[in-house]
Amino acid sequence: MELAKIEQLLEAYFEGTTTLVEEASLRDYFSGSEVAPQFVMYQPLFVGLKQAKGEVSHKEIRLPSPAFNLNSWWYGIAAMLVVGVAIGSVLFSQPQLSQEEKEAVAAFEKSKETLRLLSESLNKGTEELAYLNEFTKGTSSIAHINQFTDTKNKILK
Amino acid sequence: MKQREFLSTVMPFKDKLYRLAKRLLVSSEEAEDAVQEVYLKLWNGKDRIKNYVNPEAFAITMTKNYCLDRLKSKQAANLKIVHSNYQNSDNLEKKVEANDGVSIVFKIMETLPEQQRMILQLRDVEQFEFAEIAQMLESNETAVRVSLSRARKTVREQLIKQYNYGVS
Repeated sequence: MELAKIEQLLEAYFEGTTTLVEEASLRDYFSGSEVAPQFVMYQPLFVGLKQAKGEVSHKEIRLPSPAFNLNSWWYGIAAMLVVGVAIGSVLFSQPQLSQEEKEAVAAFEKSKETLRLLSESLNKGTEELAYLNEFTKGTSSIAHINQFTDTKNKILK
Repeated sequence: MKQREFLSTVMPFKDKLYRLAKRLLVSSEEAEDAVQEVYLKLWNGKDRIKNYVNPEAFAITMTKNYCLDRLKSKQAANLKIVHSNYQNSDNLEKKVEANDGVSIVFKIMETLPEQQRMILQLRDVEQFEFAEIAQMLESNETAVRVSLSRARKTVREQLIKQYNYGVS
């Protein structure tokens, strides 16, 4: 590259007005073996900047291990077991009634049946009582007889 | 987001985060710790990472904030930050002979204000565009350009001084 061009680029570089491409060409120029003596003092800068990019971290990054996923698996299984046991205990607890409890359940069923029959008979009785209305009707018809009595009395006078 | 997916998103810029952290904290051990912390934070917020347009810029901002916090708390706790600087400079001095005086540049960079150090790192080492740097540093392009110019000029002055000292 011509020296005038380098000088111009350097000037722009220190003013902060070079582009990334121009800066790359400066680094290339200073990495070469033919650096003009008037610019040699800048060589460490551009060589250094280029070297700095080669520096890497060798330490591994530690993140919380994926064991967490395994745990959540186990939580799921544990929860399923608890639910299973709960449902099982409800299902299988019925036949395990003691003798006394069985008798009590039988007695309860028996009295329920009795009460049902009783209520049925009572309902029948109520239906039959409905015929009483007929008597009431009859009674009101009898009331018309009074009219006859009134008329008869007038005639007799 | 599964761990594998997460790693393939964030691991490509691990070294960039490390270099930025090292530029600020100087000690490579502290820089490693900083990167580890940043990745833990990213991992904890992994479900949100998809929403960020540029996860790399986001991670760099996090690294910057973490390192600046570290520097602040160090100063507050009055820790011997200077001591670790010296140690590092010793190591650098050994490299000097091997690297044709290149490490003088890093020594000069250590003397720059943090903001300028970060901008020089992100532009001249990582080669980001001004717009990206402005986003990463929560600043604007003009301010980034001005700081960069100042940083480069400081380095130039120091280099010339060193050069003249070496020559005469």
